[in-house]
Amino acid sequence: MKFSYNWLRDLVDQLDAPPHELSQLITIKTAESEGVESHGNDYVIEIDNKSLTHRPDLWGHYGMAREVAAILGRKLVDPVKPAEFLGSAPVRVSIEDHALCPRYSALVFENVTVKPSPEWLQQRLETVGLNPINNIVDVTNYVLAEIAQPMHAFDAAKLQGDEIFVRSARTGETIKALNEESYALDPSNLVIADPSGPVAIAGIIGGADSAISESTTRIVLESANFNASSVRKTSAKLKLRTDASMRFEKAQDPVNTIRGLARAFALLQEVSLGIRLVGGLADNYRPMPAAAPVVLPLDWLDRKLGRAIPGDQVRRILESLEFGVEEIAPRVFSVFVPSWRATKDVSIKDDLVEEVGRMIGYDSIPPVAPLTPARVPPASPEREFHHRVRQMAAAQGFTEVHNYSFVSEETARLFSADLSAHLAVSNPIVADQNLLRTSLLPGIWKNINDNARHFDQFRLFEIGRAIHPDGEVPRFTAALYSKEDGSSSLFELERLAECLLPGISVRPVDLTQSYEHPRRAADVLHGETRVGRLFEFHPRMVESGRAAVLDLDLACLMQLQPEAARYQPLRRFPESAFDLSVVVGPRVLIADVQAAIEPLAGDTLLSIVFLREFALADGARSLSYRLTVGAGDRTLSAEEVGAVRSRIIEGMRSEGYELRL
Amino acid sequence: MSLEQVISELHSASLAALEQATTLDALEAIRVEALGRKGKLAEVSRTFGKLAPEERATVGKLLNSVKQDLETRLEERQNALASSARDARLESEWIDLTAPAPGVRPGSLHPITHVQRELEELFVSLGFAIMDGPEVETEYYNFDALNIPADHPARDAQDTFWLKDGRLLRTHTSPVQLRALEKFGPPLKMIAPGRVFRNEEVDASHEHTFYQLEGMMVDRDVSVAHLLYFMKTLLSAIFHRDVTVRLRPGFFPFVEPGFELDIQCLICGGKGCPVCKHSGWVELLPCGLVNPAVLRYGGVDPEQWSGFAFGLGLTRLAMMRYGIDDIRLFAGGDLRFLRQF
Repeated sequence: MKFSYNWLRDLVDQLDAPPHELSQLITIKTAESEGVESHGNDYVIEIDNKSLTHRPDLWGHYGMAREVAAILGRKLVDPVKPAEFLGSAPVRVSIEDHALCPRYSALVFENVTVKPSPEWLQQRLETVGLNPINNIVDVTNYVLAEIAQPMHAFDAAKLQGDEIFVRSARTGETIKALNEESYALDPSNLVIADPSGPVAIAGIIGGADSAISESTTRIVLESANFNASSVRKTSAKLKLRTDASMRFEKAQDPVNTIRGLARAFALLQEVSLGIRLVGGLADNYRPMPAAAPVVLPLDWLDRKLGRAIPGDQVRRILESLEFGVEEIAPRVFSVFVPSWRATKDVSIKDDLVEEVGRMIGYDSIPPVAPLTPARVPPASPEREFHHRVRQMAAAQGFTEVHNYSFVSEETARLFSADLSAHLAVSNPIVADQNLLRTSLLPGIWKNINDNARHFDQFRLFEIGRAIHPDGEVPRFTAALYSKEDGSSSLFELERLAECLLPGISVRPVDLTQSYEHPRRAADVLHGETRVGRLFEFHPRMVESGRAAVLDLDLACLMQLQPEAARYQPLRRFPESAFDLSVVVGPRVLIADVQAAIEPLAGDTLLSIVFLREFALADGARSLSYRLTVGAGDRTLSAEEVGAVRSRIIEGMRSEGYELRL
Repeated sequence: MSLEQVISELHSASLAALEQATTLDALEAIRVEALGRKGKLAEVSRTFGKLAPEERATVGKLLNSVKQDLETRLEERQNALASSARDARLESEWIDLTAPAPGVRPGSLHPITHVQRELEELFVSLGFAIMDGPEVETEYYNFDALNIPADHPARDAQDTFWLKDGRLLRTHTSPVQLRALEKFGPPLKMIAPGRVFRNEEVDASHEHTFYQLEGMMVDRDVSVAHLLYFMKTLLSAIFHRDVTVRLRPGFFPFVEPGFELDIQCLICGGKGCPVCKHSGWVELLPCGLVNPAVLRYGGVDPEQWSGFAFGLGLTRLAMMRYGIDDIRLFAGGDLRFLRQF
């Protein structure tokens, strides 16, 4: 919103702060100024619209002038001279639903001359970014910019009948608006209509057919109040934001309609000489009870701000902003909220904390440490665990990435058979980025192919949320890319998995996903619990090299973390070790052979470790294991150790294994 | 030639040979020749029987001293040779220590992680709990319970990704305020860092996905003065120097009063420079006293409890911290960027 410095000077007695200083003061006390620019013999102070969303009154110069007057301790000059519109109204106003249109006021003028506005008026409008059109329209815009009351002038000759209807649009109705666009309307849109149909979209824009033209001699001047959310909905639906709709959607003051007409009347007499008012005021409104006063205990106010403020200073501040103040008990004020602040801005005592606080200046409040008991905050084990995982991965050479939560259907299809398992965005920025990721794989896959252009080998990982319709699961996905060999990468990742969760194992799977290397994929297990997957990407997914991936469910991983370690006494008696070699076929698993040995070893077995594999003729392999045995209460004799070994050899043989001895 | 002469010659010949010897083997040969059981000195001693008793004592003395001397010299030579042999081996074991060490280099953490972690530790040290909330939120938590009813213009400021099932991607971390109040109740000091989403076109300074850190304290009689104290303490820790802050009015429906918190420009110290657009101040974070409506939504009686809340842009802070000028790099996955942290 652009404010003219000269305009503000008209409305504040003896405004002597220079424009830049004023701009700073407004920023500190009221709303954020984006800067000052000179404009002819005037200056424009641009206020960020976002800082005005809660202040309907600041969408006009008079509202800002009130702030400035209060800040500087000057007198506010009201541009509106009270006017009385006696006599019967020449038009009737019929309002279908007062909730949507709390008030509709109108005057009718005749002997109107339509011509360009005088220079001063045109300049004012241009300064605040409004286009001068003709004297009549310019007056309505002037009132809008001055007291935030949007108005509209109809060519009375182009309206049928003498009744104005404020009603919901009927299905199928259309209107050609002043911007020459046609809009299809529906019952959620409020319109101003004559018996033949809509003549304006309420609170947003007038119709082209009843617009003021050079031949206009008689006008109906509308000054109404419309429901904020209704205007906002229609404006959003029609994708049409106007100076009027921007104001109405902030909830304007219904009391202001008459002030708008009074101000317009005065201006019209100046810019359209000979203009005559026809009859009196048409004014249809629902009762406008004054807002209930807000009780403001001054001790409470002091506690909120953290600083004592004398009661008379609080009173002075509130009164300078035209709040009514009455002391109903010692140090308790009853505060009457002015109508232009009551529509939704100020209704509770907390709102008054802001009024007082900003005017005394927040810089007058010294920082104070709160006197609260020391408490140990609740722990956040999940976050700590994630961070441990992060640091472990980084220590092993993996670099952390962040990927978007969005995936395209095309990508999602590569990683998931069921697109309906994805949550979908109704309004994506890019039409194809419309699904939420149910896995980190799509992002990691893209990272691999992107970075393969710059590096021959790299490691990366992400910790992020897989989003499913029934909840979010934290996942850890790491990848190791190498332009050449890839098999050691899988073991590197397996080792990482072991670091993250001791006791983890992998179990190769026969049924692989289409994106996986069909012979290099395994479930990652902890006991019987599946905690993730280890695989190499199928060469069709990563053509430039080989990429191994570890994909883990972090929630699961965290649950399985070992409890705090318990001390085991150190062994007092020596252990014995012996090696065994088993001859197996080409695709027999090292883990399976080990699992066969283990139960045969009996309770003296302390550990079994795979040592090496040795290729024999015809694809056969010799797998060597080292077994360590011992007892807690004695040294095992050579005979006892020999007995264990023999038991295993016999047992393995009876299970069909061949042993190399 | 007298026996004494024989011994003396043997002595000097052996000493000469010891000096000449360059290997341990040669020394051993000399030892065997001179001192061995069948060596020359042993041979001499076998002729003792022919000597007169008084001569025998003199020659015996001489023989012993020569033996001792040779043994000592032999050991010295042995030590010298062993040590020079070890020196030679050590010399040959030179390696080029400037060769790159084998093995993987450590990776790196995301710049957001660094900043987030630092803040988490800071807040925990001040007694704040760290909370989490879902990225997919309901309209209730993201808007309604934060005092942003449907059709409130404040919703315009937060372009929202709506999901087809009626939920949304959270536009801020503020919903965690409600979730934390519901779960723990007052008194409570908490922060909630996390990923948020806005339906915005992406360019060098706008992202649809970024990180925020929400903070809230609810206790008895929490005031603007307390808010100022915490903000000043925290920001001084974050920027590693004393910062000057100021509050000015800002509108956010979930706080009342609401503030924009500015810090005095750290580049120019408030004199005005391009970074602060010559204002001397840099807008840093929105904050305020928790709106009583929000407390009520969280099941807390605003007559008994009050609080402050603030929202810090982690992504923005990371950009400031590292001088990153393109926000798209954060989710770009480019290792050339990420390895710098």
